[in-house]
Amino acid sequence: MSQLKEYIKMAFFNILSNKIRSLLTMLGIIIGISSVILIMSLGNGFKNMITSQLDSIGTGQIAIMSMSDTDLITLDDLEYIKENVEGIQSYLFTDSRQGTISTPKGDFDAYAYGCNADNYLFEQYSVLSKGAYFSEDDYENGKMVCYISEDDAIKLFGNTDVIGMTVDINIQGRIVEYRIIGLTTFADNASLVSYSYENAPIYLNVPLTTFESALGLSLPEDTYAANLMLADGADSKSTCDEVINILESRHNCKGTDTFQIQSFSDYMATINMVINMITLFISLVAAISLLVGGVGVMNIMLVSVTERTREIGIRKALGAKTSSIMLQFLSESAFLTMVGGILGILGGYVGAFLISQIVSLVAPTYAFTPSIGVGAVLITTLFSSAVGIFFGIYPARKAAKLSPIEALRRM
Amino acid sequence: MDSLIHIEHIMKIYNPGENEVRALDDVSLDIQSGEFVAIIGQSGSGKSTLMNMLGCLDTPTSGQYILSGEDVSHLSDNQLSDIRNKQIGFIFQGFNLISNLTALENVELPLIYRGMPAKERRECSLEALKIVGLEHRVHHKPSEMSGGQQQRVAIARAIAAKPPVILADEPTGNLDSGSTKEIMKILHELHDSGRTVILITHDDEIAANAKRVVRIMDGKIESDFTKEQ
Repeated sequence: MSQLKEYIKMAFFNILSNKIRSLLTMLGIIIGISSVILIMSLGNGFKNMITSQLDSIGTGQIAIMSMSDTDLITLDDLEYIKENVEGIQSYLFTDSRQGTISTPKGDFDAYAYGCNADNYLFEQYSVLSKGAYFSEDDYENGKMVCYISEDDAIKLFGNTDVIGMTVDINIQGRIVEYRIIGLTTFADNASLVSYSYENAPIYLNVPLTTFESALGLSLPEDTYAANLMLADGADSKSTCDEVINILESRHNCKGTDTFQIQSFSDYMATINMVINMITLFISLVAAISLLVGGVGVMNIMLVSVTERTREIGIRKALGAKTSSIMLQFLSESAFLTMVGGILGILGGYVGAFLISQIVSLVAPTYAFTPSIGVGAVLITTLFSSAVGIFFGIYPARKAAKLSPIEALRRM
Repeated sequence: MDSLIHIEHIMKIYNPGENEVRALDDVSLDIQSGEFVAIIGQSGSGKSTLMNMLGCLDTPTSGQYILSGEDVSHLSDNQLSDIRNKQIGFIFQGFNLISNLTALENVELPLIYRGMPAKERRECSLEALKIVGLEHRVHHKPSEMSGGQQQRVAIARAIAAKPPVILADEPTGNLDSGSTKEIMKILHELHDSGRTVILITHDDEIAANAKRVVRIMDGKIESDFTKEQ
């Protein structure tokens, strides 16, 4: 083993004494490894950004769906689930009506978005900035109140100082008046979903009951899909099972797949998988350049063996065994690719960092931090050394098999 | 007494068949420990083949070679490497130093292959360089030294591991007369200190340095003459 140390030392000095050539040989490996690291750390950073944004948006939400045309989810079902399932905090039941709003600022397309009082729980990417959401009491009594976003307030009135003002909405020829009691703004995490465009309709979030009391519309009693909110700390899996059980027994359809559930973590898993697949795919493409780099190393090692035939002859005459020569040349190629790999890791990470800096300058909402795991770095280093050993075997064997007489005869 | 080197009916045949070349044709030779022997012959006489054989760089087609009591006629490449490392110190005509290593590192090479620990290795190498009078040039590369100095480094390399046999192949072939004298003086000193020196040359004058001269021609030993003191 102490001899192995000597061979590594020899390899090291040989590489140092041929600096330019060693660097050029390494270049292939450096480029290969750095592109793999670049792609992986960008992919990871991007995934982390999406995950952190989507995570806070979807936390605790469960979507239930009916797959049947006859067995829809009724308001009674939802109310029953809310009352009887411990893990369910609330449900969302909505309906919306299209209309128009006229103010001194102009005419706007608008939607009255009728919902229950727990709606705000499901507002994952906006937060209250002024006033209040409407209460359970407002909902029960069909109070003519609403909350809107700050963007909409600016569109309608030119400023956000609108709490207490009323807004008239014309729905199918009937004009109803809602008093604004709350303003919302985008949450920090909403860079992926916060967009607004010139003619986006205005949304008034109103108690669903006002559709009946003010507009004389009958309230919907069932729906194909509804959202449930998990209570804090509730187990998503067992709660989902319980909900399905209740729905199936209330609708008398046990064991059929009439009702289905998707929690937000399912979506997250899918999104993560897609990003992982894309990262893996691009990394594999980048890894092809590693192969090219490996062939470059082999080529140079072959040249080196030819050049150093005499040296090999001397070493053999002095008692070097086949394995000693083999080890010396293998350490040399492994060393070349390992150093190339380390430089490549540094280069790739610096590249990813620069790209993320540029992104945060150009598009701050999409800013992310590149990240790469210790495991990935270790695997990459080992892999590049393995490339060196693999592509070094042939030249090293060629060197080791030389007969000392033949090798010494060559000048 | 058993000889240090005992060669019996050695044959080395190249291109066996119609155009076969008998580089060594039934050669038998005994060399005792502590002898100073010159093997002399013209080029093509078979002396290089004999030296390869004696140096365990090559194996005979037939015959037996016993070195220090061990039959080395039919060993594998790796076993021969081991024998060379332990039994033989080579001195070549072209010096054969490794150009990007210093004098000291060159001398250390055979000791590395022997697996000697670094500290001991350094001591042995410095001692050997001292014997050839180069203790002040240990960190010089071969390109920074004269031919004579390079050959002295090569001698130091040959004796550092204290092998029983020193095999010098035309050691002065590339040197001027001054350096030649110097090198021959060192070889004499090595012989005087009890080492076995085998000198291979085509030059009668150089061969005259040795006490015993073996003349080889056409693959056969033509004469084997020992000077009376």
